[in-house]
Amino acid sequence: MAVNLYTFRIQRNTPREDGTLETRWQEFRVEAEPTSTVLTALEEIKGHQDGSLTFRQSCRSAICGSCAMKINGRTRLACKTHVADAVKNGIVEIAPQANQPVLKDLAVDIRPFFQRVHKIKPYLQEGDETDTNVGKSAYEQVNHVTQCIMCGCCYSDCTMAEVSPDFLGPAALAKAFRFVSDPREGAKSERLKDLSDPSGMWSCARCAMCVEMCPKDVAPMEAIVKLRTRGVDRDYHDGAGQRHALAFHTDIQKTGHLNEFTLLMRTVGFWGTLAEMGSALHLIKKGKAPSPFPHKAAGHDELKRMYEIIENNPLDVETKADERPPE
Amino acid sequence: MSLEFAYYPGCAATQVQKEADWSARAVSEALGIGLHEMPRATCCGAVSLRETKPAFSLAVSARILSEAEEQGRDIVTICNTCLQTLTHANFRFKNEPEILEQINGVLKEAGVRPYQATRKVYHLLWVITDQVDQELLASKIVKPLNGLRVAPFYGCHNLRPEMIFDSKAGQDADHLDRLINVMGGEAVAYDGHDKCCGFHVMLSDKTEMRQMVAKNCLSAKDAGAEVMISPCTLCDMSMGSYQEIAEQTIGHQIGLPEMNFAQLLGLAMGLDQSTVGLKRLHVNPKPALAACGVL
Repeated sequence: MAVNLYTFRIQRNTPREDGTLETRWQEFRVEAEPTSTVLTALEEIKGHQDGSLTFRQSCRSAICGSCAMKINGRTRLACKTHVADAVKNGIVEIAPQANQPVLKDLAVDIRPFFQRVHKIKPYLQEGDETDTNVGKSAYEQVNHVTQCIMCGCCYSDCTMAEVSPDFLGPAALAKAFRFVSDPREGAKSERLKDLSDPSGMWSCARCAMCVEMCPKDVAPMEAIVKLRTRGVDRDYHDGAGQRHALAFHTDIQKTGHLNEFTLLMRTVGFWGTLAEMGSALHLIKKGKAPSPFPHKAAGHDELKRMYEIIENNPLDVETKADERPPE
Repeated sequence: MSLEFAYYPGCAATQVQKEADWSARAVSEALGIGLHEMPRATCCGAVSLRETKPAFSLAVSARILSEAEEQGRDIVTICNTCLQTLTHANFRFKNEPEILEQINGVLKEAGVRPYQATRKVYHLLWVITDQVDQELLASKIVKPLNGLRVAPFYGCHNLRPEMIFDSKAGQDADHLDRLINVMGGEAVAYDGHDKCCGFHVMLSDKTEMRQMVAKNCLSAKDAGAEVMISPCTLCDMSMGSYQEIAEQTIGHQIGLPEMNFAQLLGLAMGLDQSTVGLKRLHVNPKPALAACGVL
């Protein structure tokens, strides 16, 4: 196969005495085949051009999760990303993961990520809800989540983690779903109650960046959606996220449309509404006040009937991952 | 290809972000895109209904899709979250026949026409950049942007998850960039272009939402953007209407005019300011638009 010359633009980070970082960008020219991996190119640079370049790596097979780094702005495994897929305008730009402190060059301190994973108690617990009968469908439910290799790509690109130091993050929440859905787990309700706390499962912004960036198709956000469903089914409603979500089905049954006028009060309560008055007035000054009486959709009475039919005969429509052998 | 669609503007466009609806209708008329009302359509339930009442959520989407099917038209919307919600349900109906059968059972019992899973769901931006003749589109640009630096803000729910959508999505999506070029503007590349506007956590995690707005706007401004456009009424509300509120939270001035893509397109097509509801915007775009000759 043809060998091409690629420019790698790499972020170099050097810790200073005072604990801050000195950051600069350095360019390297690397000969590589288009199907070479970014990791191979980094090894070439480290081996033949600059031995001080620091990055993590181990298995070279997308199993260990060590080589997650920003490749052209989004976090990917260097060992799974082909150079030809990474190049943009002739340049492959490499930087360390985001949302965790940088140690040197491309290596980050991975403790914040793993602290969140530990926070959800990543092990089975004995308890009242333990079921000893484990059917085949139980594994189908959590199959996609068990593919997780804890590489941190999702956490690095998580748009909520970027602004919230407390958010549990996609990987930890996906891991939590794995235990909530395991018949052998004895404290499923307690887990869901804990996950309903602030900065837990209701703080996901639903941007789906983790679904896109996960190199193992774990789809963490889909697991978060299912956690939320299980949480409200067990009546853990005490939070703005839950109350907001629960407002939809009642409004849709009434008129077919969301009553945005009363939504604020129902989501954040009386005092919360008072606190939001400044924002409300800001919207009203440009005519952006929702009507308290939303227009009624034709045939909206059908919605109430649909709702009652489903409430009386619940349907299991949850997506299940396909059976597939481990990669 | 037929340019006749069942029009599903979404709750935000009919209640709060009316300027996006007015602009969408006006540019569609000028480009020969037929937008037909859906009198029976309800709120799609967004991400919230999918979480709290998953089966009801699918039934609500099926009823909406069925109305379009009865008209013999595909759906076009101007809200990313409606786009994702309806597309997600439609994707399941097309790929999981047993789910479609169960949901149709509910529809029939409730007296609703069952859905045959024959329709597609599009964003108006996709129709304008993929289906409208691009020479025709270019010929309608009578007030070109003359190099105005425009930040495209795509919004999550027309990008991800990539596999469900009926047009180019994920990191390959380039609809806004292409439209900016056709209008004679310069599309600005910046980190926040495919990030989250925070709309869905506006009330539950309000400080974080405002930080998202600020970060995205500042990343666009640092890259030289003079104006930002978005295809989504919810992103418009976050990035535009909430921008000054975000400024107060972070204690830092931003001042990046944000508007719906159809508003800027309307102006570039020579529509007047009141037709596209320019005065309803919180961050005034007039100085930037006047400087490049659009106003």
